[in-house]
Amino acid sequence: MAPALRALTPLAGAAPVTVLWALPLVTGLVAALAVVADGPAWTALLAHPQVWPALALSLWTGTIAMLVSLVSALLVLMALHGRGRVTGYAGWAMAIPHLAFAIGFGFLIMPSGLIARLFYNTPPDWVTVSDPCGLALIACLVLKETPFLIWIGSALLMRGDTADVFAGQWRSALSLGHGSGSIWLRVLLPQLLPRLAWPIIAVWVYGATVVDMALVLGPTEPPTLAVLVWSDLNDAQLLANSRGAAGALFLTLALSIVGTAAYLLLRFGRRMIRRILTRGPSDRNAPRLPGLVLLVLFAAIYAVVILLLGLLSVAGHWPFPRIIPEVFSVKAMARAVEDFRPFATSLGLGASTAITALALAVLWLEGVAARFDRMVIGACVAALGLPAILIAAGQYRIFLEAGLSGTLVGLFLVHLTACFAYVFIVLQAPYRAFDPRLRSAALGLNSNPWRFWLKVKASLLRAPLAQAGAIGFAVSMAQFVAAQLIAAGRHSTLPIEAVTLSSGGNRSLTAAYALALALPPALVFAAASLAGRPRWR
Amino acid sequence: MALSLEGVEVLLHGKALLRTFSLTVEAGDIVTLMGPSGSGKSSLLAYVAGDLEPPLLGHGIIRLGGSILNEVAAGRRRIGRLFQDDLLFPHLTAGENLLFGIPRGPRQERLAKMRDGLAQAGLAGFEDRAPHTLSGGERARISLFRSLLAHPNAMLLDEPFSKLDSELRQTMREYVFAHLRQRLIPSLLVTHDVADAPPGGQILAITRDGEVRHA
Repeated sequence: MAPALRALTPLAGAAPVTVLWALPLVTGLVAALAVVADGPAWTALLAHPQVWPALALSLWTGTIAMLVSLVSALLVLMALHGRGRVTGYAGWAMAIPHLAFAIGFGFLIMPSGLIARLFYNTPPDWVTVSDPCGLALIACLVLKETPFLIWIGSALLMRGDTADVFAGQWRSALSLGHGSGSIWLRVLLPQLLPRLAWPIIAVWVYGATVVDMALVLGPTEPPTLAVLVWSDLNDAQLLANSRGAAGALFLTLALSIVGTAAYLLLRFGRRMIRRILTRGPSDRNAPRLPGLVLLVLFAAIYAVVILLLGLLSVAGHWPFPRIIPEVFSVKAMARAVEDFRPFATSLGLGASTAITALALAVLWLEGVAARFDRMVIGACVAALGLPAILIAAGQYRIFLEAGLSGTLVGLFLVHLTACFAYVFIVLQAPYRAFDPRLRSAALGLNSNPWRFWLKVKASLLRAPLAQAGAIGFAVSMAQFVAAQLIAAGRHSTLPIEAVTLSSGGNRSLTAAYALALALPPALVFAAASLAGRPRWR
Repeated sequence: MALSLEGVEVLLHGKALLRTFSLTVEAGDIVTLMGPSGSGKSSLLAYVAGDLEPPLLGHGIIRLGGSILNEVAAGRRRIGRLFQDDLLFPHLTAGENLLFGIPRGPRQERLAKMRDGLAQAGLAGFEDRAPHTLSGGERARISLFRSLLAHPNAMLLDEPFSKLDSELRQTMREYVFAHLRQRLIPSLLVTHDVADAPPGGQILAITRDGEVRHA
């Protein structure tokens, strides 16, 4: 194509992404890594009596949650294989922010929660929330991460270029005497799991490093290492603060070591795995019932959690063991509305970062050649795969130096970090798959590049654009660690308020904030689904 | 062992796609079923193999030797299939693809069968080669031997030569037919190219209204 017809130069495409997204991310990471040379911080960290048990707890919760989520997702995929898409349903479950769900789930399982009310007359002596083994946190992580893995797994199985291949392989394996269980084990899983590697790693890292959910449901004595680090990073004392930064790096290093060990274990076990794969035909069928039971259970828990948040937010007096409140009241809702600043800040940040992330992604994809996408994808994987607390710790230091701490610009930039990474990953493949001949055809019809983009390309790519925007908005709305550190007490967002309230006694107000946190992403997802529908059908 | 189809028909959305017909394929015979695209040829093979899915539906008795297969699960019918694509599993090597179909037993025996199969396919020493490093002809031969080493009692050939180039096509036809006859496997071949039919074999044709007649 003649350069004169190009809508954008590579510089115009790359510069905004570099300045607004890559620069804060990379400098933040450099600052986070620089703490490696801070001797006193490491001495203080390793002398902390809770560091090792907290690390063990983090690895335990992250690993068990990841393994159970993976097995659950695979069981559901097996149960629904050949029975249509499940991505839509899983997408809805993903739209509910982790923190809002954790708050609702806590209300469900706590000793005075809904489950206890069904079986007891007085609150039982249970330790169901903040239990020392982190079981409540694990259960909540499983409930939130399983739909994500189902969504990705289903999309991989049903993708246009692979679905036919898998269907052919399935028929072929059947004709060789294998039952559906054997085909899953020996044909589909060995091809599916390597493609799920990054999502599985992301789930594991998230589970081991999450702060907001751990503050609501996780153990306290000791807490998980991420919570310990977060607490240090909030400490005004210089040494404690540096210890927090060292702790974030320590957690990342520990995860890298465990991850590498797991990888090596798999490499060494390769021979045994290959033996299992080639053991010969087995007519054993894949189990369907466990997956169907899990699906129903998950759907029921999601429905009850949402319902519970709704009920609690309008509950006046709700004595034990009543299943529904004795008195309804809009007091909590009114109080939440009264101080609308956190809501407005969150909505504003969510919308502005989602729109900016979309614009940045489109500018890059229009202006820069596809072969450079790898660089951005790599940085996105780093932004999402590395512990959020590590990136936040580094960005906190940089932003403090740059005078951006406590400012809306600083908040905008840290929200954009995760938001853009998701938007770009979701948008890149469908955007690059756009048939370039349509552009040539349009330009040949005396259309200009901008008109072509607006009238043809954006219209045809409406679904992925809307989906990427909705995901970006939901991700941005849910940011807690970086937001809380950079806000420096001068601004508040919904996640910050919800976490603060969850440790207090006002359940109705907490539920109202959790609902306020959950509703906008759900509405944006619904709007994106509608907007993404092709108009010509 | 003979493969018999008795009063078999294939329906699409309740309407006859392939009208009721009967057929017996004797051991070592290869019967060719010809018809245009969409006439129900592949659906018939799927019905015989046991993996026909709605909205398609099949009726009629499928008999192999003395056994009726209608209630037998697809994975237990011992009916091999060759498709247009070789459908080698990309995560397994050539040797492992063969092992995938060889019935369970002592590992050394299975490995010996696999190596023997590779040698018969003219691919001795290809054991550790990944499928993507093989040529089209090599892949097609591995695919054939993967099916044969599973000891099928019958074979269904679903246009297995249609994606091969003309030179390789002729070679593979002779190669496949020779091995099927040598092992006395009753085989049903569907194709829309009369050149694919084995010389001297029975040929059936599907008419526009779904009737199966001798060509």
